[in-house]
Amino acid sequence: MANALKITKNTEESVREFLKILLEKRKVKGVFTLKKIGKNGAVTYSLITKSDELNDAVPFYPLMPTNAGKLLSRITRNGSTTEPVAVIVKPCELRAFIELVKREQGHFENLYIISSTCGGVYPLKTATDGTIEKNLSDYWDAVKKGEINQDLRPACTACTEFTPYGADITVDLIGNTELEKKCFLLLNTKKGEELVQDMKGELVDRDFDKEKLKKFYAKREKAKNQFFNENTKINGLDDLIKIFGRCIGCHGCSKVCPICYCTLCMFDSSNLEYKPSKYESEVRQRGGLKIPPGTIYYHLGRLTHVGISCVGCGSCEDVCPVNIPLTLIFKKVGESMQQIFEYIPGKNITEKIPLVTYNEEEYTEIEG
Amino acid sequence: MNKSAETSEKKGAVLPIKTSIQDSIKDLLKNGIDHCVFDAVMIPLRVPAGDSFSYVLIKNKSLLNDAFPLPPTMSVQGAKAVSSVTRLGNRNMKIAAVMRPCEIRATIELTKLDQTDLENIILISMDCPGTMPILDMVNEPEKTMTLFNDATKSWDDTQMRPVCQICDKSSMVAGDLHIGTLGTDKKSFFIIPNSTKGKDILEKLKLPLTDSIDSWNKKVKENSEKKLKKRQEVHSDLKNKIGDLTNLLDIFSQCINCHNCMRVCPICSCRLCYFDSNKVKHSSEEYLQRAKDKGSIRILPDTTLFHMGRMMHMSLSCVSCGSCEDACPMSIPVAQIFSMVADETQRLFDYVAGRCLEEPLPLRTYKEDELHEVEDVHG
Amino acid sequence: MKKDDIFLPKILTFLCNWCSYAGADLAGTSRLQYPASILPVRVMCSSRVDPLLILRAFLNGFDGVLVTGCHLGDCHYQEGNYYTRRRFVMLKKVFDSLGLESDRLRLSWVSAAEGQKYAKVATEFTQKIRELGENSSKNKIFL
Ligand code: SF4
Ligand code: SF4
Ligand code: SF4
Ligand code: SF4
Ligand code: FES
Repeated sequence: MANALKITKNTEESVREFLKILLEKRKVKGVFTLKKIGKNGAVTYSLITKSDELNDAVPFYPLMPTNAGKLLSRITRNGSTTEPVAVIVKPCELRAFIELVKREQGHFENLYIISSTCGGVYPLKTATDGTIEKNLSDYWDAVKKGEINQDLRPACTACTEFTPYGADITVDLIGNTELEKKCFLLLNTKKGEELVQDMKGELVDRDFDKEKLKKFYAKREKAKNQFFNENTKINGLDDLIKIFGRCIGCHGCSKVCPICYCTLCMFDSSNLEYKPSKYESEVRQRGGLKIPPGTIYYHLGRLTHVGISCVGCGSCEDVCPVNIPLTLIFKKVGESMQQIFEYIPGKNITEKIPLVTYNEEEYTEIEG
Repeated sequence: MNKSAETSEKKGAVLPIKTSIQDSIKDLLKNGIDHCVFDAVMIPLRVPAGDSFSYVLIKNKSLLNDAFPLPPTMSVQGAKAVSSVTRLGNRNMKIAAVMRPCEIRATIELTKLDQTDLENIILISMDCPGTMPILDMVNEPEKTMTLFNDATKSWDDTQMRPVCQICDKSSMVAGDLHIGTLGTDKKSFFIIPNSTKGKDILEKLKLPLTDSIDSWNKKVKENSEKKLKKRQEVHSDLKNKIGDLTNLLDIFSQCINCHNCMRVCPICSCRLCYFDSNKVKHSSEEYLQRAKDKGSIRILPDTTLFHMGRMMHMSLSCVSCGSCEDACPMSIPVAQIFSMVADETQRLFDYVAGRCLEEPLPLRTYKEDELHEVEDVHG
Repeated sequence: MKKDDIFLPKILTFLCNWCSYAGADLAGTSRLQYPASILPVRVMCSSRVDPLLILRAFLNGFDGVLVTGCHLGDCHYQEGNYYTRRRFVMLKKVFDSLGLESDRLRLSWVSAAEGQKYAKVATEFTQKIRELGENSSKNKIFL
């Protein structure tokens, strides 16, 4: 049985055309993808309804201006789209969206999800200083070869979840040596199959090059272990104070975190404001107090709120104006939390978030 | 603090510099604690990793040794720090807050917005040579310290943030006490009271006022005139560059809606910003309809609405402190744009944000006979 | 050593209203000896204890935090304490991953009849905290 659509053309070109036809044939009413806008060609997510607007679409551009999971939630949080929309997102963005759907912050119905094996994205600053454009050809070379790119977001260099879960269609990028000539859309679901019916291209039998992906996985895993170990061992409160001491409390990290969806974060609420008497007693006890206080509490607290669902996308670190290595902490601690419950956030929509379920017989070792 | 005081020549006390100006300021503060003029000091300290500074409310005098009255970078805007400590009142702790002039001006604006309680706060400012980008300190702490040290001596602003290079209010006296370092013989500095509170303190510390700070007055005037000229040039360049809506959209096209700029802005004090509220979250139909109308929309939309809306909300109180720009991960010149617009909106009402506490916020007052030029002539 | 020199830790103890609080009460009325280190806070169910409360106590300088609740299966809200356990494991993991002393946190099931157990847990935990010494967060400035 055919399980892939083969288009004999440059991959990005093919996908762009594929999307255009989807719109023209009215199979979907909108396409959500990355697109260049304005004079300076800034890349941002866009919702596109006219096919010629897709000319500037760059579905696989190695940049994540905002985690798309957050954006899809913005669009669908009050209900699914009334008309079908195709969305092209990266694996961690999809996982974030699934976590948000589990939290009733988004709806899947009527979305056709197209994702790809992912070579990672560059830090946001490469978009502002222009280096990203210069890096593009190297980037695609590495993707073809199944190598890790230099200068990616640290989160991406250390990402082992580069194959999407639950996409209707997966575009084969990593290790596809013929990216410029051939494009393969792997069909994972009924919805995916529906979508490619009567489309240009040839239905073929094809799967990922499993061997290559395995090798790539090994490279990423090695990089991840290095990343987790090499960086300053965080050991105790003093180390945390060193790392977070320069935090200016902008809370940009929670604002861009796809999992932090609260309209008013608890750490911005009046709950956490110190009363005058509290300031007095704290200053008396400690001799002095950082103003505003609560930096460590904010970060550790946020960890307990989102760690279990952290998809390791690296958005937090990228937005931090003082370059705090947030990915290291959130990804590392997040994964260690997820491991206790053998949970991979966003892998399976039917799997419950570990903190809203339980088994009667478990973790008895901590009771005493 | 009154409007007329701002324009008149200032009087002050002259104090000797022993080892360094920073040390002399710290001695003065310790003296203040000893004489119970205040109970605590809020002042920047270098953080344990040494890569930034942070306001610390200090009761323990020995901690003052590590203080930096004038650090190279600005982490949390001082007004936000004062507001954090006093928003819910402050009856028992007299606090001397040592900050840059723009931080004091923001504090005054926040006070008008009921976000602080200044009754027990003594605001102390000093001549400011500018602030370096916050990331300089993170990336190269020692180099930044040295560069800044040199800059405080030569008053060279080339390393400073763009808004600081065109700041004409770097010696504006708006708080209770101001420390003058301009126009001195390098062996002494001036301390200038600007309120009854400030005068009382000098009396209690037995620091008599003299008339000998003319040199400061002169130097400040010279400095601010020079900067003002540059400011006007830069602003008019920027205005020409923006020119129309398309260019403005282009400048903000890379904005990722993180709202860092709003979050760090001392004036933006709403707990939940309108632009983060459910008011700006729409249904999928709405987004799709908007996309259909235009063929394509940016998600998130309304970026320019956010920036212009924020301007509407706070531009009359913007003190050009540059915090927003420091916090922008996309290097958008937010502060330059906001300060340009702010100068124009404030000029409309002959208002200078943070100049004086008694001056009402322009939108909270009116005159019957004013601004006729905006009225419909046929009306 | 004089008695005053022995470090008396401050331990914040959350007591579930239905079981553990009664257990602690029983320990008191039975005149069982246990250290004065315990500062009790009554909550309606152990699952009320948001990990953030524990974290806040820890950062505010409490030397230990003890969470108590009904035995599994006895929770008056059926399943509250199962969730408590999961959150507690998770919080401990956060502590361990960052090298914070997770031994300062303890979870214990104490029924209304278990005055003895309560006194034992309180004594043991106090002893454990004594070994660990003061919580250094008490005098940190840059929190
Ligand atoms: S983005 Fe950076 S500076 Fe802002 S709150 Fe997060 S860690 Fe702190
Ligand atoms: S940190 Fe917690 S309260 Fe704040 S936005 Fe994230 S999930 Fe919500
Ligand atoms: S808009 Fe920017 S420059 Fe103006 S007060 Fe706010 S943070 Fe400062
Ligand atoms: S800080 Fe920069 S990127 Fe973030 S919302 Fe403001 S202008 Fe946009
Ligand atoms: S009622 Fe006791 S643990 Fe829930």
